[in-house]
Amino acid sequence: MEVMLTVDGLKKSFKNKQALKGISFEVRKGEIMAILGPNGAGKSTTIRNIMGIMYPDEGSITFHNHQGKEIPRHKIGYLPEERGLYKNVRVMDILLYLADLKDYPLDKAKERILMYLKKFDLEGKEKIAVDELSKGMGQKVQFIGSILHEPELLILDEPFSGLDPVSQELFKEEIRGLADNGTAILLSSHQMNLVEEMCDRLFMIQNGQKVIYGTLDEVKTKYANFKCTIHGKNNLQVLESIPQVGRVEQKDEMAVLYLEQDVEPTNWLRSLPSEVVVHELKMNRISLHEIFIDIATNKNLIQDEVN
Amino acid sequence: MRNSMKVAKWEIKRNLKNKSFVIGLFLTPLLILGFGFLGTLFGSDDEPTETTVFVNDQIEIFDMLAETVDEYDLNWIVNRTDLSEDAIQDELENGEDIAYIYLTVEALESGVIPVYTTDDIDSGFSTSVQLLAGPLQQIRIAQLNLTEEELAIISSNIVFEETSAEDYTLPGEESVSSENPLEKLVPGIFAGIILFAIVVTGMMIFQSASQEKKDKIAEIILSSVTPGELMNGKIIGYFVLGIIQVVVLLIFVVPFAATQIDEPIIEYLLVPETLLLVFIAILGYLLFAAIFVGIGATMADMSTSGNFQGLVMMLPFLSFALIGPVLSDPSGMVAKVASYIPFTSPGVLIMRLTALDEWPWVEIIIALVVLIISIVLFMKLAGKIFKVGILMYGKNATPGEIWKWIRS
Repeated sequence: MEVMLTVDGLKKSFKNKQALKGISFEVRKGEIMAILGPNGAGKSTTIRNIMGIMYPDEGSITFHNHQGKEIPRHKIGYLPEERGLYKNVRVMDILLYLADLKDYPLDKAKERILMYLKKFDLEGKEKIAVDELSKGMGQKVQFIGSILHEPELLILDEPFSGLDPVSQELFKEEIRGLADNGTAILLSSHQMNLVEEMCDRLFMIQNGQKVIYGTLDEVKTKYANFKCTIHGKNNLQVLESIPQVGRVEQKDEMAVLYLEQDVEPTNWLRSLPSEVVVHELKMNRISLHEIFIDIATNKNLIQDEVN
Repeated sequence: MRNSMKVAKWEIKRNLKNKSFVIGLFLTPLLILGFGFLGTLFGSDDEPTETTVFVNDQIEIFDMLAETVDEYDLNWIVNRTDLSEDAIQDELENGEDIAYIYLTVEALESGVIPVYTTDDIDSGFSTSVQLLAGPLQQIRIAQLNLTEEELAIISSNIVFEETSAEDYTLPGEESVSSENPLEKLVPGIFAGIILFAIVVTGMMIFQSASQEKKDKIAEIILSSVTPGELMNGKIIGYFVLGIIQVVVLLIFVVPFAATQIDEPIIEYLLVPETLLLVFIAILGYLLFAAIFVGIGATMADMSTSGNFQGLVMMLPFLSFALIGPVLSDPSGMVAKVASYIPFTSPGVLIMRLTALDEWPWVEIIIALVVLIISIVLFMKLAGKIFKVGILMYGKNATPGEIWKWIRS
């Protein structure tokens, strides 16, 4: 797949804190690439550097498909994390202004605005003032503003925050649709379930550093090992002595056994000692969500991999 | 530049669609007219209070007196009276707006005419009554049986005519300066109004920049244009809005002024001097616009502006404080120094050029050069502050932080 954007060795410091410690990744045409990470990990800083709103101390950002040094602003759509629109202006006016700033033909823009308003359940709202919209509606209008000019690269910073499940679904479908039509999409989020459902590749960041980078499948096979949850009063030592168990978390009468990478579930179950008390037993893969929480809380489930 | 124009167009459109801006647009001239009307209202309030003047005429000049009253259009009702000075006590105590003038032979000789008035008397009376001194003096002189030449010499007053070294010109050119003062004043007032109106509108830049931060839209706009383009667009946009304000103001005020003031105001306005004065006003706008847009970007909220920002906001009004000293001595030290300080120079230059008959070209050019250099400098600084400030959410920048942005 054609690479649209390459970020290489990005470093940025604020005062005496290093926010980005050498970030490198690329975004390809027609894929959804997710930047994940807890609050303050450096997601928005990375995006702002790409958008030229901040300048990196070191490293390079390359837009392929584009000659010259400056950022091809007209080909990029951007939904910032900080949401807001001019108050006191009509929805149609502000969207046309945003399209005009991107040099998009206005008659075409008008058509697309009406089409998208309808799609996002805002039909007939084009003439009302922005400050009469609810927060979610405002967010939809902003999203429309960022995709109106048919960008080649779409950068979405936390597109789902503050949306109800119905709207989330709507956004998800639209983003997926854009990617299928060839738009390169870079999105940041900390809503793992949504990301897990839609992204092709992901880049997990913590304290300004890369933690995980790869396709969703790679990440899952690499990091999402099996875990076994057992309800019942058991001795910690007994549980820890079970073969292929990496780590045990015990709380009251419940224990979670994190298994090693190449465990065969059925074989492993057969190897359970008979003295283990089982009221209930559950076996599944670690979700992206759990990996994320582990990283965010520095439990370092995957510490070995990083080091 | 293309993007700047788009931003400018948007700011103009947005404000013209905004009800409060439109109301303000028409309210400003109405307020000015309103104050004008109030003045005439109070003025005409005084007029109907006619003063009844009784003249005890013992030298037979009542007709001439009445003529004088007519000539000066005094609001007097003149009557003859025979009451002696002793008998008017009652009349004065009980009456209102009544005056008694005693024209006796002795009084005319001594030159002191006794006038008795009620406690309540039109405030202009004592000035008006002095107008009678002229004709009476004529009568006194006439009694001396002088020749006409002697008469002319005596009846002409002695006046001291001052000419300072700077203003000294050949006697032939002298007459130019003694023309109607309004003729010089009109272009100055016009430029003053322009400066005031666009600076006031320019203050909206400041609001617009800080509002953009508050509404958090800056980042979206900056994904399409550079901070410099956004800033320039705002400056241009609000300049046009200021001009719209001036035009609306003139549409209302000029016809009104033309009916009130019996002078060809439009004619006075269409002189080359107006061009330079307006140019100075525009330079003044650019300077303050640069300062406002920069400071506006450092503030998250108008209501929590710090002292520093408040002080900067007062800068354009600095020249108002200098109106007194500059007008009383347009070539004085204060006026000269203030012409070279960029914050005061637009206002002070306009005042000085209006007050001075001979324009000090060297000073004007130096002042303009200083002003233009400072505009370029402040635009650069504002650009740096704007770039960082517009994206800083949630708090106002301290002067220390602003200094750091400037240095970076």
